[in-house]
Amino acid sequence: MKPSSFLLRSLATAALFTVVASCSENLDSSGVCAVLCPAVGGDIQNITLDAVVLDTTVNSFSGLGSEPSLILASRGDTLDTRVIIRFDSLPTTFTPTGGTLQAIQTVDSAYIQLRIDTLAIKGGGPYDIAAYDVDTTANDTSSAAILALFRPDRLISSRSLARSDLKDSVRYYISNAAVLAKIESGARLRVGLQVSGATTSQLRIGSTEGGVPPVLSFRATPDTTTHPLTVNPLSKTPSNDAIAASHLSDYTIVAKGPPPAPPGVLAVGGFPPRRVYVRFDIPANIIDSTTVVRATLLLNQISNPLLDPTDTVRILPQLVLAGKVVTDPAKAAEIVADVSSDTVKARPGDAGLTSFEIAHAFSVWRAQKPDTLPRAIILKSLNEGNSPLEIRFSSSEDVSALRPRLRISYTSRVPLRIP
Amino acid sequence: MRKLMIAIAVAAISSRAGAQGALSLQGLGYPTGELSARAEGTGGGIADFDALSLVSPASIAAAGSPALFFQYSPEFRRVTAGSSSAKTTTARFPLVAGILPMGQQWTLGLSSSTFLDRSSETSLVRSVPLGAPGEIVNVTERNKVLGAINDARLALAWEATPALHIGFGAHVFTGSNRITFSEIFPDSSKYVSTTQTGRLSFAGFAGSLGLEYHFSRVIGIALSGRKGGDLRAQSGDTSIGRARLPDHYSASMTYDGITGATISARVAHDAWSSLGSLSLSGTKAFDGWDTGVGVEATGPRIMQRVLALRAGARIRTLPFGFNGDRVSEKSFVAGLGVPLARDRASFDFAAQRASRTSGGSVKETGYILSFGLRVSP
Repeated sequence: MKPSSFLLRSLATAALFTVVASCSENLDSSGVCAVLCPAVGGDIQNITLDAVVLDTTVNSFSGLGSEPSLILASRGDTLDTRVIIRFDSLPTTFTPTGGTLQAIQTVDSAYIQLRIDTLAIKGGGPYDIAAYDVDTTANDTSSAAILALFRPDRLISSRSLARSDLKDSVRYYISNAAVLAKIESGARLRVGLQVSGATTSQLRIGSTEGGVPPVLSFRATPDTTTHPLTVNPLSKTPSNDAIAASHLSDYTIVAKGPPPAPPGVLAVGGFPPRRVYVRFDIPANIIDSTTVVRATLLLNQISNPLLDPTDTVRILPQLVLAGKVVTDPAKAAEIVADVSSDTVKARPGDAGLTSFEIAHAFSVWRAQKPDTLPRAIILKSLNEGNSPLEIRFSSSEDVSALRPRLRISYTSRVPLRIP
Repeated sequence: MRKLMIAIAVAAISSRAGAQGALSLQGLGYPTGELSARAEGTGGGIADFDALSLVSPASIAAAGSPALFFQYSPEFRRVTAGSSSAKTTTARFPLVAGILPMGQQWTLGLSSSTFLDRSSETSLVRSVPLGAPGEIVNVTERNKVLGAINDARLALAWEATPALHIGFGAHVFTGSNRITFSEIFPDSSKYVSTTQTGRLSFAGFAGSLGLEYHFSRVIGIALSGRKGGDLRAQSGDTSIGRARLPDHYSASMTYDGITGATISARVAHDAWSSLGSLSLSGTKAFDGWDTGVGVEATGPRIMQRVLALRAGARIRTLPFGFNGDRVSEKSFVAGLGVPLARDRASFDFAAQRASRTSGGSVKETGYILSFGLRVSP
């Protein structure tokens, strides 16, 4: 190759390389911004408003039995809850190994397998768990009718478990005769569990809604080569509401609960679960004409030392999506959406200022007129229905210094003009 | 008094809208010069004679044959302020031109060139009191501007005699700056980051006149002028400013007395200050001189092609000042031209080193590589 040709080709290659390299723009000259870039954004305005026009405690409408776990508790005078498990369909036949289908005439080794959340166990044991036959024709959701059946003549079995017996999976043996009697009579087996102990006793048991239901297991023959039969919880009532019936396959009822929060006090969590509904009146110019970069609901927490005052409750603020036509706060508090993935950790026994970040709600409020979408949020426990712990706050009925307030930080739009 | 207060308030607000991050990008941006790679290679000395540069409408009369021209000019910039520095790469396509001879004496030209390029991006962290009293939060401001004001010219040139060319040009100045401004907060669960977008549009008109005369076979002189009309700026449908496009006057001279070489010199004046009224923040625009000298010489024969070698130097004042001071630019440039396809096409290349200062501690160096391709269909 001639030197001149090589030179030209080298130049062409260098030019091509430069062209390709410069196709990728990099306009960022932030390195010298300390000198060459004056701040563009405006000042942040911080204001604190008494913007709450309605705050109230409402019951969670999630429904009896919809909780992802079952609470079996005996906390002295504070809390007494029972667990109901319905086996409305029991098998009447079985096929022994190597044999043919035949009717069940004996029941052996009957037990209910319970999934225990070992991290949520309260008390040191022993845990005396009694099982009662709670089958009744009374109203399905009548707790009083069910509680009345926890009496000696309905007792199926009783067992004392030490703390060390409580593993992830516990076999709670029940009377074989009671199961056989239900099978032979074609009746439903509905079991009510009650715990008692010398001290505090509280267990969290997996439920059908949580994906780990209690399961009834028994042998229809003493021959151990034949597999035992297993029965999942099933409720056939109420017959006209399949969803409610599904929830009632296993559920918790409260025999005695902690005293409710006094009037004028907001309560989150507890048993049965409650939520706080808060509606605001925010100046339209802040929502419409500014950009809210942070909004904090400031609540004064009131100490509630009744149950586990140092345990943690995670509280989640959610945006109410219910329109103005939904006038009942309890119903509006069920039509919600997340505005933040961040929860606030609170302990029932603590007191003082608690902050909830709700800035993302303003993005929705900006797009909707207040006569379409009221400016409202709720506060709910992340463990709603799974924990008896309740966090309490001062309401707008309290003295001025303790009322809920809304602190808003906003910035005005920057005029994007010629420099 | 009330009007005065309003004016002060407007100025205070709008002064927050500039964050270009480079000396050359102040105000409405960097003037590319509207020169072809060939003219850049001579420091702008032959600009008023160069048919492909968007300077003198008379120059297209010498084109001789129809031509299409396209130019790519990336700039690699380094800005230094004390111990801080930033490196950027800006890809520009500053010039496209078409020339069509009509008969023996008339030539029509349609060209478009980047007039003021404002493409930039900056990021700044500032601390603001936000939330509870005493709480300080760092917010990152990102400001990105893309776009330019472009100069589109329709030119008609008349070759009165082989030595005398006269041309007229009608210019439309149009373009936009797309601005994206973001304020980014550190914790998305607490704060809502914001992004604003805006588009500033520009529209204006100007007329130009050029004259080229060759006194002899060795000396030629070219004069040109552009008279600016109104330039209007709009944000959406709202008019946000009005100014006069800067008047431009220039003169070039060439000397061909040395065999195989053309020595050229040029002086031009731009009345950039007429754009000052468009700036609401008080960014000062300065009238400025643009002076350049250069030489174009016949180079070596490579692959049966005779290369043209070029070199030049140029000094000029950029339109918009920094902190009230003028920004000046000194450039040294070298280039070459390669005929292709039996002179039915040509490739021009220029490498330019531009130093920019404003008298303060901020220095800027830009390396501009220009690649121009002319094709005669």
